[in-house]
Amino acid sequence: MPQQVPRLAAVFAVAVIGLFVARSLLVPDTFGDLGHYRAAAIDTIVAHPKEYAGHQECTMCHRPIAEQRAASNHRGVRCEVCHGPAAAHVANPLEIKPAVPRERDLCVLCHAYSPSRPTGFPQIDSVTHNPRMPCAGCHEPHAPEPPVTPRECSACHGQIANQLAVSHHAELNCGTCHEAPKEHRDNPRAVRPTKPAERSFCGTCHAADARSSERIPRIDLRSHGQPYVCWQCHYPHYPEAR
Amino acid sequence: MQGYIYPNEFELQWSLLIVLYPYLTGLVAGAFILASLERVFNVKEVQPTYRLSLLTALAFLLVAPLPLLAHLGHPERSYEIFLTPNTNSAMAMFGFVYAWYLAVVLLLEVWFDYRKDMVLWARESRGVRRWIYYVLTLGATDISEKSLRFDDSAGRWITVIGIPSAFLLHGYVGFIFGSIKANPWWSSVLMPVVFLFSAMVSGIALVLVLYMLTTMFRWRKIDMACLDKLAQFLFYALVVDFSLEALDFIHRLYESEESIEILRQLIESRLFISLIVLQVVMGTVIPLIALALVSPGLKKGGFLRTPPELRQIIYLVAAVFIQIGIFSIRWNVVIGGQLFSKSLRGLTVYKVELLGIEGLAMTIGLLLLPFVILWVLVKLLPPWSDGPEPDTPPASG
Repeated sequence: MPQQVPRLAAVFAVAVIGLFVARSLLVPDTFGDLGHYRAAAIDTIVAHPKEYAGHQECTMCHRPIAEQRAASNHRGVRCEVCHGPAAAHVANPLEIKPAVPRERDLCVLCHAYSPSRPTGFPQIDSVTHNPRMPCAGCHEPHAPEPPVTPRECSACHGQIANQLAVSHHAELNCGTCHEAPKEHRDNPRAVRPTKPAERSFCGTCHAADARSSERIPRIDLRSHGQPYVCWQCHYPHYPEAR
Repeated sequence: MQGYIYPNEFELQWSLLIVLYPYLTGLVAGAFILASLERVFNVKEVQPTYRLSLLTALAFLLVAPLPLLAHLGHPERSYEIFLTPNTNSAMAMFGFVYAWYLAVVLLLEVWFDYRKDMVLWARESRGVRRWIYYVLTLGATDISEKSLRFDDSAGRWITVIGIPSAFLLHGYVGFIFGSIKANPWWSSVLMPVVFLFSAMVSGIALVLVLYMLTTMFRWRKIDMACLDKLAQFLFYALVVDFSLEALDFIHRLYESEESIEILRQLIESRLFISLIVLQVVMGTVIPLIALALVSPGLKKGGFLRTPPELRQIIYLVAAVFIQIGIFSIRWNVVIGGQLFSKSLRGLTVYKVELLGIEGLAMTIGLLLLPFVILWVLVKLLPPWSDGPEPDTPPASG
């Protein structure tokens, strides 16, 4: 027999025997009993402590909120999706409280703009949509209502409606600033809707002495940008001011 | 993004590294099949590239699984596919296909081919190098005529086994894609065959480039008979490869399944540069025309009579174009197959990240690594038998 044969045979034998030894040492005993996995993994998983209580447990104590949510657009979003696992809270309701999320990064898990989401689903660009404001400051999470663009407007002005929906003016309806006569729908070019003609109209919210939320940017109407009407410089469907 | 896509299609799961993987395995299979030309089919002209082809195949094979390990993460768990083989999964059987090809085909063939030299080098060398060669021979130091005849015969048989194994290795990669029936861009029984012939094209082109560069940098004269023969086989492989791809394309067009519209959009928009410009024009048509015109293997003296120096440049450029074209094929298959929605109503985009585990830098690193390994292999196991390298370039004229 040539000298090479036993040498190579020895190398291959070591490799094959090594494989079988490794198998006997490293493959768990219950591997393959139920499928291509370690059957004992099921017991390991069952032994994990229970962290989620299930929304039925929440409803027993928080019935009004549960009913409000059950009738809202968030009816499919269970309590622990936002508040986190609550088994510990159910076991000890007074001392252990579930999380009350105030961070913006929770809501955007579902509501950040994504081209693959259905277009009818409420989506925002979190960079431009009221930055740093907690979502729950404006939207009631147990009964959220997305701002509505009148269907009769968005049918023709879809691009404006989409842009408005992700802007600071998302909650303003078209009718807040425009009066559209009924004839506009029949004869849109001949009968035009109105646009705000006075600076004081925007001043209702943005004037220094306006009685609106403090978060809204203010200007001095007497000195700022005279003699132009506001929308001649600022695009109201996507205002740039922060 | 364009049109409608499902939420899980927005981001591509198989990245640039998965483009690299079939490219590398293709080079391995191609280089080995080239080596087998000399060994089994007795094509004497390509003998100068025989050992270089084997070492090239080995260097690229060692790197071939690295893109997968980087892509999957947790390389420390990779041995588990050997311990708990899942015979229902083609992907899970990769370890065995790879191990067979590495251990039973390539390493054995290199070992039998180099054993005599390793014994002689062990006798001539000193210090660590002597021990390295001695260990590599596994102590089989008998270089009698009978023993060497056995080496030769064993090497020939391994090559005979190696050819279907090389087909298995790269056909397997094509099989992985071809068997994904939910994806109309991939699902084709021709896929393993197309992969195989593109592998042969890429492997021959790579060895041609390496042979030219290594010969030039060793200040040796390029063996034009060898180079012409390589170019001739490269041309044949390219013709078959292009014909198969064209057959696949025409078949899809004629079948005109419901996916044809989105595939048309895919080719016209996302893949226009990589498929039409790089793969078809640059990687196939231009090299085909160039090789057909100048290769003396097709017509005595070639359709265009060219001096050897010009022919070398044409071969080199054609081979580099072919490499770009073959890489584009892998890109078009892997990335192209993920750019359109299974809804057949939309296209997404893929942006290559620069850094990161699946980024461009990693890909370039993994693409260069085989050349580093090849350099080490060449230093350890010199594939040429034309004497020591001259210190200075030969005088011209």
